[in-house]
Amino acid sequence: MTYLSFLKSELLAVFYRKQDTINALAFFLIVITLFPLGVNPSADFLEPAAGGIVWCAASLAILLSVESLFKEDFNDGSLEQLIASGLYLPITILIKLVIQWCAVIVPLLLLIPLFSQMLFLPWSIVHVLIFTLLLGSPALFLVGTIGAALTVSLKRGAVLVLLIILPFYLPVIIFATGAISAAQAGQDYSGQLAILGAISLLSLALSPGMSAVSIKASMN
Amino acid sequence: MNWTWFHKFGSPKWFFQWADKWGKLIFYIGIALFLVGLVLGLGFAPEDYQQGNSVRIIYIHVPAAMLAQSCYLALGVAGIVFMVWQMKMAPIFMKAMAPIGAVMAFLALMSGAIWGKPTWGTWWVWDARLTSVLILFLMYLGIVAIQNSFDDTKLADKAAAIIAIIGLINLPIIKYSVEWWNSLHQPATFVIGEKPSMPSEMWVPLLFSVLGFYCIVTALVCWRMQTELLIRERRASWVKKEVTKHGV
Amino acid sequence: MQSTLTLSVSNLLIERAERLLCKDLSFEIHAGEIVHIVGENGAGKSSLLKVIAGVLSPLEGELFFAGERITAHRDVLQAQLCYLGHLAGVKSSFTVIENLALHFPAATEVQILAALRSVNIEKYATTPAYQLSAGQQKRIGLARLWLTNKKVWLLDEPFTALDTKGVTVLEEKLQQHAELGGMTLLTTHQKLNSTLHARELSLDS
Repeated sequence: MTYLSFLKSELLAVFYRKQDTINALAFFLIVITLFPLGVNPSADFLEPAAGGIVWCAASLAILLSVESLFKEDFNDGSLEQLIASGLYLPITILIKLVIQWCAVIVPLLLLIPLFSQMLFLPWSIVHVLIFTLLLGSPALFLVGTIGAALTVSLKRGAVLVLLIILPFYLPVIIFATGAISAAQAGQDYSGQLAILGAISLLSLALSPGMSAVSIKASMN
Repeated sequence: MNWTWFHKFGSPKWFFQWADKWGKLIFYIGIALFLVGLVLGLGFAPEDYQQGNSVRIIYIHVPAAMLAQSCYLALGVAGIVFMVWQMKMAPIFMKAMAPIGAVMAFLALMSGAIWGKPTWGTWWVWDARLTSVLILFLMYLGIVAIQNSFDDTKLADKAAAIIAIIGLINLPIIKYSVEWWNSLHQPATFVIGEKPSMPSEMWVPLLFSVLGFYCIVTALVCWRMQTELLIRERRASWVKKEVTKHGV
Repeated sequence: MQSTLTLSVSNLLIERAERLLCKDLSFEIHAGEIVHIVGENGAGKSSLLKVIAGVLSPLEGELFFAGERITAHRDVLQAQLCYLGHLAGVKSSFTVIENLALHFPAATEVQILAALRSVNIEKYATTPAYQLSAGQQKRIGLARLWLTNKKVWLLDEPFTALDTKGVTVLEEKLQQHAELGGMTLLTTHQKLNSTLHARELSLDS
């Protein structure tokens, strides 16, 4: 096994599991639909709330898609093979994560213009929403991976992962929606974007190593 | 500096006997301090010129909120101690501490709500500090959940330690972000190194009740650790001796 | 140089789920040897292989390979290691060839097909693994032994789900590996053919 062959097989695995990507997007769409139906379909409510709704839906969709990142590999013995292969575990985790990020976020970003119209977000703001997702979502993936790695040996760990990881998502959600409302108010939002980038970089520094430790602890 | 006392706390047997000897004393001191604080605070402290008698709930609210934060800090530090030095007592401490921290956060939230009704007119306000404590409470629930989710104690210990460390790193970020998000709460009651803004008749009883809370929690943690120790070290000879001593 | 390959384990202590599996376990394996780990169910046979492979960490003890201490970092060993666990890491959505290509990116299709012929699953080369039976899936993992040039083989129950013919083919492969100076450490409940000259290592105390 080499890093390149691992990368290839991960791409192949994502290709075979296209349905997972579609599921994540469908879940995202359903959560978005809940708000107009459950609260208020008027533009007065939806326009200021759009950023928050998109980010809440995105956080849940991302966490649910990350939660099962290692499950299949754990159950079929691939994770053991990966550890015994001599490849540096944090790097392989990062490879896996980058592929997963592309598989979920790229289609999501392509659909964002559509979703934002359903929530009456003005066209002039849509690019800010896309910036926040680009800069903030890596942090969500990276932090979620630690939860996925910790619970890999549990049969049913999804609710547990949501419970332990969602509190750590709050700063990202706060600054992302903060940037969007600043943009809606015509203010400068570069500070919030910078903080989002900083949180993502901090997660990048800590998460692969911690996930590797968690995976090793889960093996038995 | 002499570190032998620290190493002694790493020995289960030594800790058990230490806790046996001092736990009760610490608990009674805590109860006494807390009662003094309450009597002084409820009976002798002046009314607040704006809030009237409702301000007296701070003798529960403030210590609970302070402990909720200190306990998480302690959890995070214990998590680091465990992951770096593999110290056996650290996860036992975490296991004993986490539910108590959750209770403290809950107490702070409830007393805050009771205080909020006469002061703000609502039970709940989404202000920065209440929200921080709520998130802290959720983080405690996460740690307790993860401690109880694994059959394998070792894995549960490691998982809880990792989550506590991430929580420790995240705590300032969460606090800052929530404060940035919204702030209409009054500023902190106690800031270390600053002279309190309230009259001494009010803060002296508060100090008593804070110290009392710390002592009570210390004793409770010691007792819970003793129980956990008996379970985990059940095969050690000193545990057998300890249990038979009490005639079981 | 291969004759100097030695894997040695000293004073190993393995615990799993708070249960002591083995204590003060010491042994040495040299190039050209086949070692058969025997022990009751739950004696720690699989765990021992996992510890050597680096999947689990021992609580106490040291491991040495080719004269180097590998207790903390197994890279020297892992560069020479082919580990087939109880589950061999066969991805069910992948075809048989895709499963092997992950482990042998340099192998040509001809080489992979030759290996599949040896374990008698050549005609399923482009079939997704989930369509195969348990025995056939097991053979996907075993096919790696025909492709690898690694010297240290750790095999956990390689004979389960194999028919008699499959067993004979695998035993021949083990024999050949030993003759070429490789070492094999395996667990099995089956009696090994005496021509293999396998050394028994008992975990029962």
